[in-house]
Amino acid sequence: MKKTSSLATFSLIALGLLVPCAHAALTDGMKEGKPELKSMSQLTFGPEGILFVADTKAASIVAIATGDTRPSTSTAAIRALAINQTIAALVGSKAEDIIIEDLAVNPVSRQAYIAVSRGRGPDAVALLVRIKADGQPELVSLDKIKFSRVALPDAPADGSVGEGKRARNPRNESITDIAFADGRVLVAGISNEEFSSTLRAIPFPFSTVEKGTVVENYHGAHGKFETRAPVRTFVPYKVGGESHLLAAYTCTPLVQFALKDLTPGAKITGKTIAEFGNGNRPLDIIVYQKDGKDFLLMSNSSRGVIKVAAEQITGAASITAKVADLAGLKFEKLDWAGITQLDRLDGKFAVVVRTGASKMLDLETLALP
Amino acid sequence: MSPAAGRSVSLVFSAALTLTAFASLVSGATISWLPAERPVAVEVDHVASAPTHDSAGLAWAHTLAVFAEQGSTLNVPAMAGTWRMTSGGRLRFELPYPVTRGVRYRAEYRVAGAVPIISYFALPADTTPPSTTVLHVFPSADVLPENQLKFYVQFSAPMSRGRTYEHVHIRAAAGRVIELPFLELEEELWDPTMTRLTLLIDPGRIKRGVKPLVDMGPVFETGKAYSLTIGDACRDAEDRPLRANFEKKFQVGPADRIGPDPAAWKIVAPSVGGRTPLVVAFGESLDHALATRMIRVVQADGTELDGDVSLGPREETWGFMPDRPWRAGTHRLVVSTTIEDLAGNNVGKAFDVDVFEDVQRHIHMPTIEVGFFVK
Repeated sequence: MKKTSSLATFSLIALGLLVPCAHAALTDGMKEGKPELKSMSQLTFGPEGILFVADTKAASIVAIATGDTRPSTSTAAIRALAINQTIAALVGSKAEDIIIEDLAVNPVSRQAYIAVSRGRGPDAVALLVRIKADGQPELVSLDKIKFSRVALPDAPADGSVGEGKRARNPRNESITDIAFADGRVLVAGISNEEFSSTLRAIPFPFSTVEKGTVVENYHGAHGKFETRAPVRTFVPYKVGGESHLLAAYTCTPLVQFALKDLTPGAKITGKTIAEFGNGNRPLDIIVYQKDGKDFLLMSNSSRGVIKVAAEQITGAASITAKVADLAGLKFEKLDWAGITQLDRLDGKFAVVVRTGASKMLDLETLALP
Repeated sequence: MSPAAGRSVSLVFSAALTLTAFASLVSGATISWLPAERPVAVEVDHVASAPTHDSAGLAWAHTLAVFAEQGSTLNVPAMAGTWRMTSGGRLRFELPYPVTRGVRYRAEYRVAGAVPIISYFALPADTTPPSTTVLHVFPSADVLPENQLKFYVQFSAPMSRGRTYEHVHIRAAAGRVIELPFLELEEELWDPTMTRLTLLIDPGRIKRGVKPLVDMGPVFETGKAYSLTIGDACRDAEDRPLRANFEKKFQVGPADRIGPDPAAWKIVAPSVGGRTPLVVAFGESLDHALATRMIRVVQADGTELDGDVSLGPREETWGFMPDRPWRAGTHRLVVSTTIEDLAGNNVGKAFDVDVFEDVQRHIHMPTIEVGFFVK
């Protein structure tokens, strides 16, 4: 869903100065076979065409070597109309039974990947779909592919639930977002039972997963302290040369965490640097560069897509007092309507999924503002 | 996909007539849906000039294509799947997923120089009456704190995901719908069987100060009456509505900002040698899921006892029936400190704390133990 290779690396690839190695170390430890995916809720690309997939139902993260490592020289827009309908046709279903879970663009090949659920019930099938140059979807075969998997700790396999008659475990952990930064997969999650917000930083290649970090933040718009609310979407970003996460919550504080603080079992408090308004859910955030400056682009459920000059972040004041609605970083609202998915296509364009005139979901390319 | 031209010999089988599900015949070739009631494959026999080998399936895909019709003029792709020649010389397309009700499938067999053969299949319309109901809502109490955090809705059958929040509401007096009370997550918080839905009250809308929130106001206010309603348009996994609307009415009382205190729980110790239940009274209602899962009974030697857990009315008591008779001696109740009351307060930590306090101070042991004696 968001760019994880740095802008600089991407530029080098685009210029052909740095060619990703087809047999690089990161995929060497993977096994070949068919990863069993019970669900695909979130996607993000790492280096070397590695796609990280959050499998919420299996409480695990799966790294897939897509093999899609050929740098693209194309500058063409990607456009695919009514993808819920064309994907339904491809997999023998109807548009209402297709859920578009997430969108991620491979920064190397510039190809758009979509996590799809075929069906809405417990028997729903998770599918990975790629959009071809002609705008038609194709299934990405996962039958024989290199992959590795890591299970999240403290997730459903809970020690206090025994065998036999007590084996049924209704606990589940939803993954609200994932990203890759500094050699680690970052995972934000929320349980359907305990109310807590966790961020996990999982070193890649996978070996073990440490206990998550419990995160808390101050929410100025509510005048009191908000604890344990789940991170909805986040993006890695360097502030003052140090890796941070910019995390957005419902109603819509933007909170900055230092990546180095995400240590196992710790509880950390983030620095709230913006309040983007009430009655709103943030959906996706991306970072891009324009005219030598960094910008954030954030899509929202009811406040549209907003653009924020990232230069405000360094030295931003911490919001610690009650605010009426908006505070902190200044932003500009774009006239991009109906956006449900957002990712960066390249240095100049974003790819979005938006609700079109026919109420179908269209995948479109928009120039970065 | 021009209709008329290629369809001079097409036959459309109505749902009721698909039992034999054989289609048009031209040049001796026939399309069959197998099995006829709920096909997993489409076969063409008397294949005239089919390519003899095609591991990629490309040429076969052009010869026999199956479409899931979308009822639009859009150019939709044919279904993905696998093709092979059977030992009996039939060209077979295997559907990768079960057929879906409400979709009409169209198989097209095309060979150069011959009229295409087209055959249709659709499952019959669903005539089963709605049967899924809401079994329980937890908390079961009818007075809830102003800072109530969660509801669990237990359905009688698996449900479908993605449109639930449209049908679930909190209503104030006179049926007024409270706007956006829940922390809405795109994927919704279901258990793995999709029979239990967790609804979280948006923590940004839980009243904390004396004044209501400046924005949308709190969801609940002390002294007022509310109801949680689940509309019958909520769809189960079979895409059927619920049998009836559901409503849970409750009153709202003062906020609870004090975490559960296991040391103050009243334990009625069982007698040795029998299988009478151990009963623990919390003195308040606890979160149903966590109270069920986060309390264990351990013998003096550290062995955890197996048994059945049940919660009493309003989730105020916890009962434990051991699988084997009680043995004499000291036992311990081991309680996870992340157990929550109805407002999400933990053992030793309120739900909303001042984060400018030394947060480290709140970090405590993962469990707390309370002893009792069986004699």
